[in-house]
Amino acid sequence: MQRQRPLWMLVPGGVLAALLIVVPLAVAVQISLLDLDQYSFRQWLGAPFVGVRNYHEALTRSPLAHSILVSTGYAATVTVVTLPLGVAAALATHNRFAGRAVVRSAFLIPFVLPSFVVGTLWRIILQPAGVANRVLDPLGVPTGLWLNGPRSFWALVIVQAWAAWPLVYLLTLAGLQTLDRDLHEAAALDGAGWWAKLRYVIFPCLRGPVSLAMLISFLHDINNFALPFVLFGVPSPHDVEVLPVLTYIESFQNFRFGLSAAMAVLSVALIAVPIAVYLRAVKLDVGEEARTT
Amino acid sequence: MTDVLPGRRARRDPEVTQLLPRPLRTLVIAVLLAVVGAPMLYMVLASVNSDLAVARGAVLPTGLHLDNYVRIWSTVSLDRGLVNSVAVAGTVAVVCALVAVCSAYVLVLHGFRGRLAILRGLLALQTIPGTLVLLPVFVLFASASTALGIQVIGTRWALFVTYLTFSLPFSTWVMVTYLRGLPRELDEAARIDGASSWRILTRIITPLSWPGLVVSAIFAFLLGWNDVLFASVLTNPDTRTAAVALQVFGATQEGGAIPVYGQLMAAALVCALPVVVVYLVFQRYLVSGLAAGGVK
Amino acid sequence: MTRRRTPSVLAIAMIAISALSACGSGGGSSGTGKTLHVLVSANTIYPEQQRAWFTDVSARFKRETGATLTFETFATPNDELTKIQTSVLSGQGPDVYSLGTTFTPTAYATGAFLVLGRADWDTIGGRDKFLPATLGISGPDRDHEVGVPFTTRPFVMAYNKDLLAAAGIDKPADSWDGLLAQAKRVTTGGTYGLAVGYGDSFDPWKFVWAMSLQAGNPLVDKGRARLDDATTMKAYQTYLGWIATDHVVDPAAVGWKNAQALAAFGAGKAAFVPMVSATSKVSLDKSAVAGRYGYTIMPTIPPGATALPAGGVGAASILSGDNLVVARYTRNKDLALALIKMLTSQDLQENYYRTFGEMPTNAQAAASLRGDPALAAMVESASRSVATPFTGAWSQIQLALVNVVVQSVPSVSTGRVDSAALRSLLGQAQSSAQAALDKAK
Repeated sequence: MQRQRPLWMLVPGGVLAALLIVVPLAVAVQISLLDLDQYSFRQWLGAPFVGVRNYHEALTRSPLAHSILVSTGYAATVTVVTLPLGVAAALATHNRFAGRAVVRSAFLIPFVLPSFVVGTLWRIILQPAGVANRVLDPLGVPTGLWLNGPRSFWALVIVQAWAAWPLVYLLTLAGLQTLDRDLHEAAALDGAGWWAKLRYVIFPCLRGPVSLAMLISFLHDINNFALPFVLFGVPSPHDVEVLPVLTYIESFQNFRFGLSAAMAVLSVALIAVPIAVYLRAVKLDVGEEARTT
Repeated sequence: MTDVLPGRRARRDPEVTQLLPRPLRTLVIAVLLAVVGAPMLYMVLASVNSDLAVARGAVLPTGLHLDNYVRIWSTVSLDRGLVNSVAVAGTVAVVCALVAVCSAYVLVLHGFRGRLAILRGLLALQTIPGTLVLLPVFVLFASASTALGIQVIGTRWALFVTYLTFSLPFSTWVMVTYLRGLPRELDEAARIDGASSWRILTRIITPLSWPGLVVSAIFAFLLGWNDVLFASVLTNPDTRTAAVALQVFGATQEGGAIPVYGQLMAAALVCALPVVVVYLVFQRYLVSGLAAGGVK
Repeated sequence: MTRRRTPSVLAIAMIAISALSACGSGGGSSGTGKTLHVLVSANTIYPEQQRAWFTDVSARFKRETGATLTFETFATPNDELTKIQTSVLSGQGPDVYSLGTTFTPTAYATGAFLVLGRADWDTIGGRDKFLPATLGISGPDRDHEVGVPFTTRPFVMAYNKDLLAAAGIDKPADSWDGLLAQAKRVTTGGTYGLAVGYGDSFDPWKFVWAMSLQAGNPLVDKGRARLDDATTMKAYQTYLGWIATDHVVDPAAVGWKNAQALAAFGAGKAAFVPMVSATSKVSLDKSAVAGRYGYTIMPTIPPGATALPAGGVGAASILSGDNLVVARYTRNKDLALALIKMLTSQDLQENYYRTFGEMPTNAQAAASLRGDPALAAMVESASRSVATPFTGAWSQIQLALVNVVVQSVPSVSTGRVDSAALRSLLGQAQSSAQAALDKAK
């Protein structure tokens, strides 16, 4: 029997993606080839075509390389920090206990708070005479500047990790629920202790959901504009000059739209490489090619 | 969710699925609750503190300034922002889930050339930063209104279409994993009975996919609720969202104003409340929705 | 059960559509009469009064012209910038904008705003209607003016009378060195000489600009940037030194916004707060120092000097305030000019001052306020304000100037002003400023 394929059902999503993602991307690439600034944007199509000059400038005479380093470094650190938190939380709330629903909900709150709110809250907490230093001082932790200087990188990591770990938790918890009861029973029969059970039975099964969680959270971190923008303001302190803020400043403060677009295109290309590697490695399909005949 | 036989459930020994020893479990939960709770608690305390005490970094309120919660409504038009946010994010959530289930149904249950590319694209699309497409999207809307002679920018439609598009990749992807977990026989049995694809989707697949639909909808809702970047250029005062209204509080004006941090925290709490409530209500679905298909 | 599913899905979709359409019609000209859209800054000090003012002005405009007036507000200068960019790109948006003075050159550079001809000036009541000083940043020259002065907000310095008296200081100094000496005398325990917002995104450059200009360096000189000049270096060292090495500023101020500096002064914890405008009066009159503070102009003698050097300009403040500009794409130019005429009329300007504490640009309105002793410092500062360089690159230069402060904060917070690091930062600022100037048209 020849199956009918209702491909038309893909149309709404496809059209939207084409109109609002693919076309704007093409426009962005075009802008990256123009010398578009405050003097020319009124008739932006008439801005002088400069070929790859913006790309050249972005690579040689702009903080782009430094920003890429900061962005990937911070996103990777956050991902590494949130991993044990999320997994531990998932393991702890997997089994039933009184009040579990409340705990599970509470864990999700940082994730659902708007970045703008998170940024504002932590900016007030971390200011020099703020609550953070007030609490840390008696504990013997050296106080000091959190929102500028070398520590600002860690401030960004801490705040983003605070807001992002529930995503890892959520996906890990979902992964745990798909595990077969037989696995648990087999582990119990073998008399495995809790750590051995985790180490040799549970963790190997979580590899899929956890690596997915890491990928998604890495992407969320690296593209997060609102949090660093609200937390540190502009101009960015050197140690937290992340990519989205750099491109934003370059276009909306310095009016170098062409240069900014070139930077953004370069950064997307850069992120696309690890993603492509991941996508090739991961088994996305459900298989059963025979059914497609 | 995974087992349906009542007999088996009765035999279940709750201890066998135990993952962490009880003391460790309690410790982990206590530590994480403190990590989550401390800043939240501070936020609540600050929201009833005087503006100046918050600016000074006081932890405990100098008095109970509940008037912060009254004054926020006049400092910025937060009420209108909330209405707009609910209307836009809510609509995006519903429509996004429906469009996502359509796409996912085709992608999971119907093989065709290019399917793999689309699946990969769903993840790849999430790498695109909003700052890159902000200006082009605006140009596009502007030319659309010139070409079609209708107002686009400044309407809720502009926001709706934008958020819908940017939430679709992730939502579709969630639905794909969800539908993958459904027994294929459902589709085949219905097909043999002569049901059309649309009928199968609306009568069989969708009713069985509520948890997945809820997850898709919630993520779409969050995106719409939390965006500041697009909302700040695509809205006017009538259609401004809560996130943009909130931004007014963070504004630094040239010379002269005392910081309104107490009010700022109160307003932030008010803006966060709807999302938190939505989350708490659907929390149950959230985990099972992500789990059902196996997030593998 | 499944039979009911489709209608319910449809129902949800219908509800969704109606929810979106409910009051989603923004803008567009209505059938009856014309509508004029105006974009102004949101007033966070007087939100309710601002709304009332919008209503009053709209009613009056309706009476005078028959047209409807709608006000939009923007939260931050960034917001406004984005709004302008997007409006200009799309050729739709507000008809009239209220722009900060320092942003006017950038707005002019876009070519998106109406250059006012002689006839246009006549329509709004002539150039003579305004205080001459307030016209200083309306355009690059008299033939190319886009901005009509709406309010003027000269910067002054507030001082705590009690703290000064206790330290035996009879009046605030007129030189930056003198101010520092006074600040040192006042600083004791939890009280500091100065309150300055080092974490502010807008204020720091104004200090550096003023000190440089007083020493004879306008920062931009015939298309050349002069940020690497010794005078600018000295300005940064002075400004950063207050907190780092002179210890006359609360160490927490490395993270302060301007508003927090004002709050510290309001709490009686600082003797001077420079770089505030008349709008601070409202906040301070409700603070702990109400009735015990005064305003004076900021020092006009540059750091390291006891008198204004040759070539120096005794600028008391940047020319600050708001200009009204008309979008070139407007289809309601006559209405826009009529509105500007109304907003800059004597009675409206006096009313605006009484409501918001912002100084008039209308010459007659300003004259009527001259007798008010509380305003003496503002009036003096207004007359000694100097316009920042009129170049489309100014926003970039401003950003480069602030960036030097932002990147210096870490070393400042450890009590050092690192000259070598500062020199290298100034070198970077100089080259980005020069690059921006080279692109200027």
